[in-house]
Amino acid sequence: MRPDDNDLDEEIRGHLALSVRERIERGEDPEAARLAALREFGYVPAIRASMRRVWHSRWLNAVAALGQDMRVGLRSLMRAKGLAATVIVTLALGIGANAAIFSVVRGVLLRPLVNRDEGRLIYIRQSAPGLGAENTTFSVPELNDLKSRVTTLSAFGDFSTVDFTLMGLGGEPRTVKAGVVGGSFFDVMGLRPVLGRLLNARDDGPDASGAAVLTYRFWTTSLNGDPSVIGRTIRLGPRSATVVGVLEPSVPYPVDTEIIANVVTSTHHLGATMVTERTHRMTELFGRLAPGASLDAARAELTAVHAAMMREHPEAYSAKADMRLSATPLRDQITATARPILIVLLAAAGVVFVIACSNVANLILARSVRREGELAVRAALGASRGALRRTLLAESLVLCGAGAVLGVLMARPLVAVVARFAARFSVRALEVTVDASLLWVGAGLAMAAAVLLAYVPRLPSPHAPTGLGLTSGSIRITPGTNRRLRVFATTQIAFSFVLLAGAGTLVATLVALQTAHTGYNMRQVLAIDLPTPSLAMMDAQEMDFYREVTRRVGRLPGVAGVALGSFVPWRDSGPLLPGLRFTAEGYTSVDGEEDPRGRLRIVAPGFFAVLGVPMLAGRDFTTDDRSDSEPVVIVSQSVAQRMFPGADAVNRTLWWTDPLFGKPRPRRIVGVVADVDDVNVVSGPALTIYHPLQQLGVAGRLFVHTGDDPYALVPEITRVIREMSANQPVERAATLEDVRAAVLAPERLNAFVVSGFAGIALLIAVVGVAGVLAFSVSARTHEFGVRLAIGSTPRHLLLGVLSEGVVIVAIGIVAGLVGGHAFGRVAASYIGSLTVPGALPSLGAAFVLAGAALVASLMPAARASRVDVSQALRTE
Amino acid sequence: MTKTPDDRRLDLLQGTLDMLILRTLQWGPQHGHGIGQAIRAQSDDLLKVETGSLYPALHRLEKRGWLTSDWDVSDANQRAKYYRLTAAGKAQLSRERDRWSQMVNAIGRIMNPAPGTKG
Repeated sequence: MRPDDNDLDEEIRGHLALSVRERIERGEDPEAARLAALREFGYVPAIRASMRRVWHSRWLNAVAALGQDMRVGLRSLMRAKGLAATVIVTLALGIGANAAIFSVVRGVLLRPLVNRDEGRLIYIRQSAPGLGAENTTFSVPELNDLKSRVTTLSAFGDFSTVDFTLMGLGGEPRTVKAGVVGGSFFDVMGLRPVLGRLLNARDDGPDASGAAVLTYRFWTTSLNGDPSVIGRTIRLGPRSATVVGVLEPSVPYPVDTEIIANVVTSTHHLGATMVTERTHRMTELFGRLAPGASLDAARAELTAVHAAMMREHPEAYSAKADMRLSATPLRDQITATARPILIVLLAAAGVVFVIACSNVANLILARSVRREGELAVRAALGASRGALRRTLLAESLVLCGAGAVLGVLMARPLVAVVARFAARFSVRALEVTVDASLLWVGAGLAMAAAVLLAYVPRLPSPHAPTGLGLTSGSIRITPGTNRRLRVFATTQIAFSFVLLAGAGTLVATLVALQTAHTGYNMRQVLAIDLPTPSLAMMDAQEMDFYREVTRRVGRLPGVAGVALGSFVPWRDSGPLLPGLRFTAEGYTSVDGEEDPRGRLRIVAPGFFAVLGVPMLAGRDFTTDDRSDSEPVVIVSQSVAQRMFPGADAVNRTLWWTDPLFGKPRPRRIVGVVADVDDVNVVSGPALTIYHPLQQLGVAGRLFVHTGDDPYALVPEITRVIREMSANQPVERAATLEDVRAAVLAPERLNAFVVSGFAGIALLIAVVGVAGVLAFSVSARTHEFGVRLAIGSTPRHLLLGVLSEGVVIVAIGIVAGLVGGHAFGRVAASYIGSLTVPGALPSLGAAFVLAGAALVASLMPAARASRVDVSQALRTE
Repeated sequence: MTKTPDDRRLDLLQGTLDMLILRTLQWGPQHGHGIGQAIRAQSDDLLKVETGSLYPALHRLEKRGWLTSDWDVSDANQRAKYYRLTAAGKAQLSRERDRWSQMVNAIGRIMNPAPGTKG
């Protein structure tokens, strides 16, 4: 039975009482007897503690002993500051990178959403794989069908995106991305207001009054969390709305909007096209599983209802489009794009950790060789193997603990960088914060590293003769230790190679994207958004305004040309993707295949000249192509070749057959221009049909052909436009070059982050190789001395050490190549978008590694060749 | 640590305290103080067990299952913890006794070689 403290005290008291009584019986003075008994007993607390310790578990006692060892370890490390610093920084890099990435992975992939009962919340998507459209969204008639027939979902929430020109919240008028939602949206999403109320069923329909909810981020960043905003009236383009509430912080999906308004605020949503046209799809759909319904049941029912819809309305669902419906839990949907990237980053961080650990293992191994004498002495004095291990463990705990602290400190800024990076792929990353999990990851990794490292050095065997090691302080390197050092160095090279090759692939892809030929004048053309107040066609007055803008901006010094358009390449995307159906005179589709889909673009005269797109045949639009004159179009080369193979396209006619346009209206082709792909950065053939602005008046993009310094003109252009209309937003001025760069930002960040990891890995690996060789050289000073003495040339020794380094690197690269490709194959089967590095990045990585390793080997090699014979021979 | 000023007194050989305690308890249950006194008396005051060694040893032996303990009142009317030998403790005592006699034998042979071997 384990005694408690009272038992111990009473036992001691009993002892003292008996002792005192005995002394009194012997005739001692009671007071003196008491003192003598106490003195004889000894220091009571210490004895009681040692009695108590008997009952403690072995673990507790081991920990106490470890604490003692750690104090000793700390002192001994203070004497090896250089080594300790190298180890700590290396580990901090490994631990910091891992802790940071893990925080982001946890925040983005693992944490539940704030939405009430988020597990029951699903996202429903319609796609058209036949047209390459991942998300076609839904039309209002489709939504109504689903609502009336599906029973496994208790409610649907709909959400569509509209750009509004916002006024009434102070500051300049500006375009905001807004969500337009039905009355059930917030209830389905399970979100709460932090202020005021959210939109509900009473805000639905065309007769409600305009109401808008601000998102938390917009409210806090743009309005400084001003509570008086509730009840204020704002203007959203031509309509107005009252701010009724502020939404709690939540993941904005599918689009990060600043406000969310009811249907009545959008003229477009009340129009006949929106309400009745089955192919007018622009609504995202969410649903909540009905009580008792499973996700699989809901999927099955949704698919069945969708199939029935497609049978009933064959005209809206072509066989070629192959439209499908999918339902995913919202959280999975939100994290879907980020998952593979974060997993790749996590793997990269893991690789860095392995490299860091094996490098530290090398350093520790080298140190333990130098300490072999000390360990042998302790073993000879009776220290058990466990005690020696504990000494080593204590020291590596001190090192790894320090590394972890530094790593966690470093991780904090790293988390911010990685979160901003990951935000490109998942909006959830915006909310990633540094929390205690970072500490746990850091501590966990440090413990893992410490235990691994403590088992790296070999203990002096009690049976092996250690006489020499005991007495002489010199370093003797055993073949076993040497082999281990090399294995660790090779491991580092192999893992670094994998990372370098991966980074090389990303950089190569990025360079290819950034230098791809686009067909545009990339450097000298400024694209500026001049959003129209609404999505509707411009009236005559607005048209005049834009014409006047063109004229006045064109008169500015330094401007070579100005033209209006509807679409900034790569930056703009809209609901009209993946194009609208059209046909042309004399064109018959093959086998009842549906009509080709083309991109509709609206441009003003001079557009092609301004953007540097060559006219191949016919003429440009002129100011005479007005709404009351003959309808004309200009087509891209691909359209001409597809519709009129082998013939001249100019003066033939074509017309849109998409239901969006109502009755088909033939338009004469007046010109053919070269293909430019304004959707994909890597150009493909583009079926594009250009309309003159005056015949299809929607154009809110100004293109200015400038001289060498495009951005210098932006203030002038803004001033000229504001002079004409003080409320006109003038936004996002950028050269086409920069537009493309902005679109490629995710790729660039990808390449940047992975290159960062690869750089760290390379650095650590090079330090590792240099360290191994330096150690090998210093341990073989005597040998080199002998070799020099019997006639080896210094050059010979230098080459010998260099070749040692080359062998390590060569084996490492081959191992990395084989292992990396095998791993890549396996990983690629799980992550679809993963590509195995090609020959060029692999070669480049091998070259970089070999070069770096050669440089790293030079110093130790030079030292080997400079060994002083007489001194070297004296060291023994 | 307090050193006894008494030069005559012997330090206990490492590892023998357990055996002495077990042996003492063979006469019957005893409390810690009594065990210490018994060892002292039996050795003619040559051996004195420090309480700082005795009590942890008692607890260690109890934890190993060689002793059990009960609270009882001594003849001097003082409540004290009495230790008693268990069956396992008896077995252990006989093992230690064997080891001890082997040890004494071996050391004795070295220290006092049989006459004739030494020249």
